[in-house]
Amino acid sequence: MATLNLNAINKSFGSAKVLHDISLAIEDKEFVVFVGPSGCGKSTLLRIIAGLEESTSGSIHIGDEDVSDAAPVDRGISMVFQSYALYPHLSVYENIAFPLRVQKMPKDELEERVQRAAGILQLTEKLDLKPGQLSGGQRQRVAIGRSIVRNPKVFLFDEPLSNLDAALRGDMRVELSQLHRQLDATMVYVTHDQVEAMTMADRIVVLNGGKVEQFGTPMELYHHPATKFVAGFIGQPNMNFVPATVLETTGALTVELDGGHKMSLPVDTSGVRKGDTVEVGIRPEHVTLGDDGLDVTVNVLERLGGISITYGTIGNGTRFCASLSGDAPIHQGKNMRLTVAPEDCHVFQSNGNVLRRKSAPALVA
Amino acid sequence: MMDRYTKLQLVGIYAALAVFLTFILLPFFEMFMASLRPLEHLFRSPYQFWSDDFSLQAYKDMWVTVPLLGRYIFNSIFIATSVTVITMVFVVPAAYAYARLEFPFKNISLGIFLGVNMFTGAVLLIPLYRVLRTMGLLNTYWAMIVPGVAFLIPTGIWLLRSYLEKIPRELEEAAFVDGASRMYTLRRVVLPLAVPGLIVVSVAVFIGAYAQQFLFAITFNQTRELQPLPAGLFEFIGYQSVTWNEMMAAALVGVLPVMLIFLFLQKYLVAGLTAGAVKE
Repeated sequence: MATLNLNAINKSFGSAKVLHDISLAIEDKEFVVFVGPSGCGKSTLLRIIAGLEESTSGSIHIGDEDVSDAAPVDRGISMVFQSYALYPHLSVYENIAFPLRVQKMPKDELEERVQRAAGILQLTEKLDLKPGQLSGGQRQRVAIGRSIVRNPKVFLFDEPLSNLDAALRGDMRVELSQLHRQLDATMVYVTHDQVEAMTMADRIVVLNGGKVEQFGTPMELYHHPATKFVAGFIGQPNMNFVPATVLETTGALTVELDGGHKMSLPVDTSGVRKGDTVEVGIRPEHVTLGDDGLDVTVNVLERLGGISITYGTIGNGTRFCASLSGDAPIHQGKNMRLTVAPEDCHVFQSNGNVLRRKSAPALVA
Repeated sequence: MMDRYTKLQLVGIYAALAVFLTFILLPFFEMFMASLRPLEHLFRSPYQFWSDDFSLQAYKDMWVTVPLLGRYIFNSIFIATSVTVITMVFVVPAAYAYARLEFPFKNISLGIFLGVNMFTGAVLLIPLYRVLRTMGLLNTYWAMIVPGVAFLIPTGIWLLRSYLEKIPRELEEAAFVDGASRMYTLRRVVLPLAVPGLIVVSVAVFIGAYAQQFLFAITFNQTRELQPLPAGLFEFIGYQSVTWNEMMAAALVGVLPVMLIFLFLQKYLVAGLTAGAVKE
């Protein structure tokens, strides 16, 4: 059992507080991704879990054991670094064998473990090479190989794909997901790339300014973002936020959007009053071309073949992005009308908190 | 391109180089010329740059005039090598600690090391003499090795520290996560990667030790058999005459090993001294 529990982790560097009361319960064999903008504290949190950094307060449990003060190797974790951190003077074989050499493992067992790791990662042919002779993706695999030979309980990945080019990153993503299934281990993965988070994670932790904004499955985050920050961070292209004034709060929430369009939205209205200013969140992929609805001026049109993405404005210059069909009859510089189903809209209060949607799509497990 | 010069600038640069090199190399050249001439021809007037009396006789005679010459050359190299080895034993862990660990008075002590470098050995000769006498080290090899080590450790720390700082921290963190101790990491990861830096520092220390041994030798050592070459050269100064040509020959032969080391290791030296100056 390799559950990972963080209890009220705080971290300060001098007077700068970088992590605020972080508590998370990560299940056995779960693939959890920490995602957030740079400087949100996600790497620091990972380094605290690894034992490379000490938390100012709080405790960490792996399984039933309190490892808050344990050395990294005694925590049963292993880590893959952003720069791979391969030893340039050692062969691939010795790089993978390094953790076992530290343990002074007998030769036969060491050989067997290295060969098995190399087999899993398709590195058997490369064992005699030096890291400098490998491609970026292969180096990444060596770094992963070094982390799996020790059979740790928890794997930690610190932005492992950010040094790779886009195509390779896609391949490695798939490989990592497969590896997770193959190893059946708990994995914690840090990235700033929401696509990596959405595609690989069982659950995602969205961090912002050293606080957990939301911890949930990718689809939960997509359909039920708890805050405006999460809503804006998850989804590609980003969600549009249109300022609106509350007209009516009984039953549904009736609002007037910037530009004059009125909508009745099926959300929980407790806590909002007539006249309040809210923001309506509309995902670019939830709009369709229509005869009435939002009046959008198209400034830039990107035709990607399968879809067309438009960047434009509505009302008093509120920016609005829409994702439409590849052959949508629209033109740069012209206006278009977009309709959106009321149940697809999100509503955020001025403090960034969401008003719960009443008609939520069923969550895909 | 930053390094594109006009013709005029190039002429200026080469002219300056020529002046500089002449200034530096002319003494060596004159040493060589003097070593080739018979003693009685050295003080001819007017001075002759080229003559037909060149011979290698002085290179043979010097071993007879000063029978211990071979011993002196050996002593020089032995002392410089010992100083280098002992200095490195101290410098490697110290430089690593300064590069990676946090401890009280780190910057102050580094500053003090730099400050010590400002003193030449000459200022400290009398205190050093007393220390060595108290410890009973006068007139031994140690009299020349111990002060040499002491004066070269600061330079070594400063040079090696900047080199070690260039080795990515993540490599050590990775080793740490895998359970390696500091010493294991130093031995298996850091030092193998620091080999070019170690060579640079060793060469710098060796040259420093070679150059400074004269002062310590003439002050702290009276035993002829233990003298290094620079002190041994005095024996060419006799009661009646000074055999300049043989002295020059002996000096050149003595400098030769250092020159060879320089030639072989100069690419490391240049790379090492400028390493870490810019982010790569």
